[in-house]
Amino acid sequence: MAAEKKHFVCVVCPVGCEIDVVHDGSKIISMEGNKCEKSEEFVSQELIEPMRILSTTVRIRGSRWPVTPVRTDKAVPKRLFPRIMKQLRRIKLQAPVNMLDVVINDVLHTGANVIATRTMPRG
Amino acid sequence: MEVDVAVIGSGPAGLTAAIHAHKSGARKVLLLEREEELGGILKQCIHNGFGLEQFKQDYTGPEYAERLIKELEKTGVQCFLNTMVTDLSSDRVITALSPEHGALKIEAKSIVLAMGCRERTRPSIGIPGTRPAGIFTAGVAQRFVNIDGYLPGKRVVILGSGDIGLIMARRLTLEGARVVGVYEIMSYPGGLKRNIVQCLNDFDIPLHLSHTVTEIEGKERVEGVVISKVDSNLHPLEGSEKLIECDTLLLSVGLIPENELSKKADVELSAATGGPVTTEIMETSVPGIFTCGNVAAVFDLVDYVAQTGAVAGTFAARYSSGQVSESRPSVDVVAGENVRVLFPQRCGFQDDLVLFIRAAEPVEKPVTIEVTPPGSKINRLYARPNEMLRVKIPKEKLAEVKQPIRVSIREK
Repeated sequence: MAAEKKHFVCVVCPVGCEIDVVHDGSKIISMEGNKCEKSEEFVSQELIEPMRILSTTVRIRGSRWPVTPVRTDKAVPKRLFPRIMKQLRRIKLQAPVNMLDVVINDVLHTGANVIATRTMPRG
Repeated sequence: MEVDVAVIGSGPAGLTAAIHAHKSGARKVLLLEREEELGGILKQCIHNGFGLEQFKQDYTGPEYAERLIKELEKTGVQCFLNTMVTDLSSDRVITALSPEHGALKIEAKSIVLAMGCRERTRPSIGIPGTRPAGIFTAGVAQRFVNIDGYLPGKRVVILGSGDIGLIMARRLTLEGARVVGVYEIMSYPGGLKRNIVQCLNDFDIPLHLSHTVTEIEGKERVEGVVISKVDSNLHPLEGSEKLIECDTLLLSVGLIPENELSKKADVELSAATGGPVTTEIMETSVPGIFTCGNVAAVFDLVDYVAQTGAVAGTFAARYSSGQVSESRPSVDVVAGENVRVLFPQRCGFQDDLVLFIRAAEPVEKPVTIEVTPPGSKINRLYARPNEMLRVKIPKEKLAEVKQPIRVSIREK
């Protein structure tokens, strides 16, 4: 693949360096604008597969509120967000739920679990 | 009833203050919360990014709250839920109402105000047009989606690029709504850079700087909004109007500290922060009444909120046991060059002076923060109005200070 240019804003720290990257589709050829080396790892991963934590809510029965918050316990490919959301829409938990309870194990074979992020008592 | 320390509000500031009041030896600490659960607004902030500094963990809001609540439970601090404080006097008597405890008179040796803030609304920015359904503040929409479990609309325009608006742009997109765009009147974004990247860029949601909503259309429900470009004086440019079809308008146009109770106790308020004029030990102008978190000044990060809570709780406990003398010298801390917001506004020489500074104008190059006296110079890589700067001046350095302390941000 021929060299291409892409602009990134590094989110490793609050500085938020604006980085211009020349890449071949999966590897960095050159980059400028970053103030430290940490950006390199970030940009490399962004080129291959942007990874993010997904946080959302799922339905719950038997509690004060109709939904309860969840997240993936590690970053998952961003492109899978719509599919994970679709899977979570089909789930209905039963109260009580404890914080860190696993809601979906190894979601879409990402190696990440979807976990509850609060304790939701019955009531 | 009589208590040593009463804390009003159980968000991150109040929880931290109560924990630290207990840790610092206050025997009877009472936490008052108007809602049915502890945790404040953290409960609806289901996204991650909380506690990176304080706990070195990437928590969501509910996880952060639950960690503090568990810590509080170990202390045995008494909590009154569903309890609305209706009055507060400068001699530290709290009037409160609760279904469980009835009408309460609480005499406190010291008080921590931790009521948080609320959102600016349509009237506070004065958008003309009709008054249909479908106009929400971003935080209200956040509550609808994350706690009550329903979507406020399907085609959404967001006015203002505050952090809650950005977070909601992503949240609504994930839930299947179409966020048409975020419009910001200023020439720079209101929210943190990482939120621009992870909430807007990640989902291809456009951010239009120097734009505002000049009219709302629709009779029963919002049908569209008129967007205009603004000039450098923030006045809408004639001829730049564009109608954007949408069924929902979210406002993310700033937060105001909620100080109705503070006013009842004759606490002096600062025009710049909207919160009490506060010293480095988080004491207000009324002796024995302390404050922390977003009721004191609107902070960017929960870590900063908790930090002020820890100081307020610690010194409220010391005050309640007579360890803080009634008469203390103090000097003003005043905003100098390129400083829009400065907190705290007074220094009473009891503790290190931790300053939270918001720049007036963005400087995208290295800056020096000058604190004079004592003449401290602290370097930073940049100064942005949307990211508070925090600097610490050790107590020892302030020993000889007699004049007002001036804080300026200068290009290096």
